[in-house]
Amino acid sequence: MFSKGNLVTYAIAFLFILALNFLLPRMMPGDPLMAIYGDEALITMTPELKAELVERFALDQPLWQQLGAYFVALFQGELGYSYYYNAPVLSVILGHLPWTLLLVGSSLLLSTILGITLGIESGWRRGSRTDRAMLAGLMSLNGFPDFFLGMLLLIAFGVTLGIFPLAGALTPYSGLSGLAWLLDVLRHLFLPLAALTLAHLAGGYLLTRNTMITVLKEPYMLTARAKGLSQRVLKYRHAGRNSMLPVVTRSGIWMGRVITGALFVELVFAYPGVGYLTYEALLARDYPIIQGVFLMVAIFVLAANFLIDLSYPKLDPRVSYAY
Amino acid sequence: MHIDLKREIKESGPGKTGLIILLLMIAVALLAPVLAPYDPYQQSTASLLSPSWSHWLGTNHVGQDVWSRLAFGARTSLLVGFGVGTLATLLGTAFGVSAALVGGLYEKVVMRMVDAFIVIPMIIVVILISAYIRPGILTLIFLLSLLSWQGGARIMRAQALSLKERGHVAAARSFGANRLYLAWRHVVPDLGPILLVEFIYGVRRAVFMEAGLAFLGISDPTVVSWGMMMRDALSFSYLDVWQWWLVPTGVALSLIIIGLTFVGHAAEPVIEPRLRGVGIA
Amino acid sequence: MLEIKNLRVSYGQDVVLNGIELELGPGETLAIVGESGTGKTTLGLSIMRLVEGTVRGTIRFKGKDLLALSDSEMQQIRWSQIAMAFQNANNVLNPVYTVLNQIIEPMVEHGLKTKKEARDRAAELLRYFGFPQGRFAAYPHQLSGGEQQRVLLAMAMANNPELLILDEPLSSLDAAARAQVGDLLRETDKQSARLVATHDLDTAGKLAERVVVLYGGKIIEAGLTRDVFYRPRHPYTRALIRAYPNMTTVKDLQGIKGRMARPVSGCPFHPRCTQAIDICRTKTPRLLRHQGRQVACHRGGIITLLSTRNLARFFGSLKAVDSVNLHIESGETLALVGQTGSGKTTLAKTIMGLYQPTEGGVYLEGVKVGNRGKDFYKRVQMVFQNPGESLSHRLSALEAVMEPLDVQGIGTKKERENKAIKVLGEVELPQTNDFLNKYPHHLSGGEMQRLAIARALVLDPALVIADEPTAFLDASIQAKILKLLLNLQEQRGLSMLYITHDIAAARKVSDRIAVMLDGRVIEEGPSNEIIAAPKQDYTKNLLSAASALHSAESSELPRAIESR
Repeated sequence: MFSKGNLVTYAIAFLFILALNFLLPRMMPGDPLMAIYGDEALITMTPELKAELVERFALDQPLWQQLGAYFVALFQGELGYSYYYNAPVLSVILGHLPWTLLLVGSSLLLSTILGITLGIESGWRRGSRTDRAMLAGLMSLNGFPDFFLGMLLLIAFGVTLGIFPLAGALTPYSGLSGLAWLLDVLRHLFLPLAALTLAHLAGGYLLTRNTMITVLKEPYMLTARAKGLSQRVLKYRHAGRNSMLPVVTRSGIWMGRVITGALFVELVFAYPGVGYLTYEALLARDYPIIQGVFLMVAIFVLAANFLIDLSYPKLDPRVSYAY
Repeated sequence: MHIDLKREIKESGPGKTGLIILLLMIAVALLAPVLAPYDPYQQSTASLLSPSWSHWLGTNHVGQDVWSRLAFGARTSLLVGFGVGTLATLLGTAFGVSAALVGGLYEKVVMRMVDAFIVIPMIIVVILISAYIRPGILTLIFLLSLLSWQGGARIMRAQALSLKERGHVAAARSFGANRLYLAWRHVVPDLGPILLVEFIYGVRRAVFMEAGLAFLGISDPTVVSWGMMMRDALSFSYLDVWQWWLVPTGVALSLIIIGLTFVGHAAEPVIEPRLRGVGIA
Repeated sequence: MLEIKNLRVSYGQDVVLNGIELELGPGETLAIVGESGTGKTTLGLSIMRLVEGTVRGTIRFKGKDLLALSDSEMQQIRWSQIAMAFQNANNVLNPVYTVLNQIIEPMVEHGLKTKKEARDRAAELLRYFGFPQGRFAAYPHQLSGGEQQRVLLAMAMANNPELLILDEPLSSLDAAARAQVGDLLRETDKQSARLVATHDLDTAGKLAERVVVLYGGKIIEAGLTRDVFYRPRHPYTRALIRAYPNMTTVKDLQGIKGRMARPVSGCPFHPRCTQAIDICRTKTPRLLRHQGRQVACHRGGIITLLSTRNLARFFGSLKAVDSVNLHIESGETLALVGQTGSGKTTLAKTIMGLYQPTEGGVYLEGVKVGNRGKDFYKRVQMVFQNPGESLSHRLSALEAVMEPLDVQGIGTKKERENKAIKVLGEVELPQTNDFLNKYPHHLSGGEMQRLAIARALVLDPALVIADEPTAFLDASIQAKILKLLLNLQEQRGLSMLYITHDIAAARKVSDRIAVMLDGRVIEEGPSNEIIAAPKQDYTKNLLSAASALHSAESSELPRAIESR
């Protein structure tokens, strides 16, 4: 629910992230410039550039002044420069972002819809063999880490059967356009999407199923039955609509983790999203990228939570703004 | 709450299964030196061998015996899992219960901190920190605990709040008991079942995290980890080696997580009695 | 239209409805009256086949047995031909849809209307029931109880069902709203056959022409609402009416002794019944037609305990009692009101056998009594006016109460003692040795009269004649004694002939009043009728002269009574 208190929470979270971003490199032993820009950087930077950066970020000054300089740079929208990619951090991240959004966005949508539907069906038939089988099946599926699922899918369908490509989001240097390009994207998207969706299916399923069980006992379900409504209407319009509320709320929170959510899967499929970028930056010790991603994650998470808070009353009329 | 946790788990089919799996894994971890014919770190030139009588699961790319590494890997997963689970639960309980019993500004501040941390995704923080410091196993346990106790704190606080209003707590207060005494003698014992469920899920989260971080290449290289094994196997996915290198490792990892899930699920009616009799069993 | 035969509904071991039979024609409204837990809602739900337990019997709707239909056939009937307005509780309406939508839904889903038509009709129905116009798009949790009730009613009537089941339709409404909505329901009641399930007698009276009374899973009385409420024939129905606060009854409220429990055998009401006999314990009575209605009672309903036919007693030329016809029913209080010299005490003594009747006879349970033997006195006892005189000053309290037992030779001495002590507890006198040994002249007026009452009760009589029992007592003691008599009636199922000159007191304790003047009973009828609409002038005078706490500014001062 939206409240001033929540804003405070978000503010604290954001501040923590900023603090971490700021303090970590500066607490490292050794040359602060190296800590901030990474090894690679030092090799390519000229002494003049180094001096300029030291000046700009007040690296030889006490911490307080460094903090000031840090904030100034931040508000100017400057996230730093990556020497590994040879481009401003912001543009590097933005270049990788769409793929992550595509992958995670569609997987979230799919797993939520599927999870809710399966949860409704399962909850409706609670105790039956179908329900028990689905429950056992999905709980087991839940135990498989997403990177393992990804690897299994990759090996099964990519390597062995050769149906799907093994890496990347597009076939490189293909020069495709229009429908062919779209199909190419989809072919590359399929396996990572499947892995991610399957891995997260159980969460929505369990929550919906549990809520469904409670909802079915409510008086308005008897009223609905008395109205002579069909099974389908009872299941979805009445029970389902009430059961999906918790999942939708949860989805909002999951949305915040969009950037990090696909980290492992992107890695397995070499899918060029922000997760993969983070991994590569990690290997290359490209600190500016990592910090930039971190900041971006923070903003995404907080924004998503905020949006969910605002829209929840529309879904559940019983909730009103409480100050 | 006179609900017998042991009985809940024993009566549930999947609960029993989960428990068996866990016990099996613990046994393997403890008996690893006995079960493993080779030193898991010893490299050799016999690399990428298929399974044979001398190497039950073959060898990896640097000639290490896969089965031995698998057995020792169990130690890592369980150590980190239970370590983080314990520490995080302790911290969560301490903060949650104290917030509930002390109230006032302390409670407000603690809960704000808790909420703030819950919002931030754990993994990116760990990645950031790991970029600068290569965490050893103990550091990792510490770090993961620090980042994951908050969820439990929320639940513990809610429980403690409701317990606080119970008769026997009020009675003890009327004897002049101080808050520490109340917490220790009256509140915490009743938290037992919920603590356990929180713990179980905490262990599960930690096992997953450890494997994931090792997969990324972040964790302690001196330690055998299933995640790292899977990471190494990934580069050789075009060969047949995945069958005995990747799959058993992934399955072992999944089994632990599934086992923990099942046990946790069986124990859930403790917190939400309405769900009883409605699970798989 | 609706015919239910031998309906049995049980949840495992628990039998909720045990052989229900009823009939309903088109345009008729039948009320099902019963207290909570008697199965009224279950009855409604079983007709709609929404009950989770085991259902056996036949429910014939327009010729078809509903219990034999398939699920999909039943689904079609629900809400299109048979609809139910549920009892208004939390979450009876779906919280995530507007009320208008929930009314539209059954119309559209059954294919009876297009969305537009449905919306119009839904709005029309809501308006009809007085639901505020601007709030059609409200959600259930935003509405008050009264508004929710109106929505439920509108929703039930959406598809113009031929059978409408209303479960406590007026319960969430305040008095004014109740009247208004009641009228609205009555206006449309020819459009459908209706079942109204309620514990509220007023609702039943307002909405239904016929009523059945449910107790212990069975129908124990059925008939026209007007008749059943005016003159209930089953002890439970009578007790229910007595327990119901309303503006018509003048007698104080009385509960029903015991608690509702399901006995294993016999009549479900027998543990609490005041006229139960042996067969009531073992055999279940069937619902039989009796004097224009149906009653399920082995004794054919409330029996007449005592009656007099043309009873007369003359003292020479003085006609002290002249041609008196009275009857007292089991478990009822008849007040005999008259001034000094009207013949009331003579009548009482004649009934008791202390005087022989000059003409006519006294009948106990329909049998004429000749010489009064011990058996008669076991069933009829008397409490006299002046306890100071009626209690021998030679006997201690215990001995006084024990005396009737001694005379009748019942039980051993110890048993008699115990019984006497027990009865002393019933009249709220101390049971200590100290008290038992006291003599009447040591007791206060109130205590003495209680002692006299205890003595009258010790034989466990069915009828107690109380002759001006409070004449010698102060007002506050009088109140206590009257209360005691009412309680005893409730506990023991006593009938009472309460003789008094004070019509105001009579009003509070009696079910019926007989007014006596010069040896004759000039007017007799239910208490509330006599009080509200007396026919005889003498009665009117009595009423206006009766004690009434007026303020100084009130209009008329009471007039003196003209007598003779």
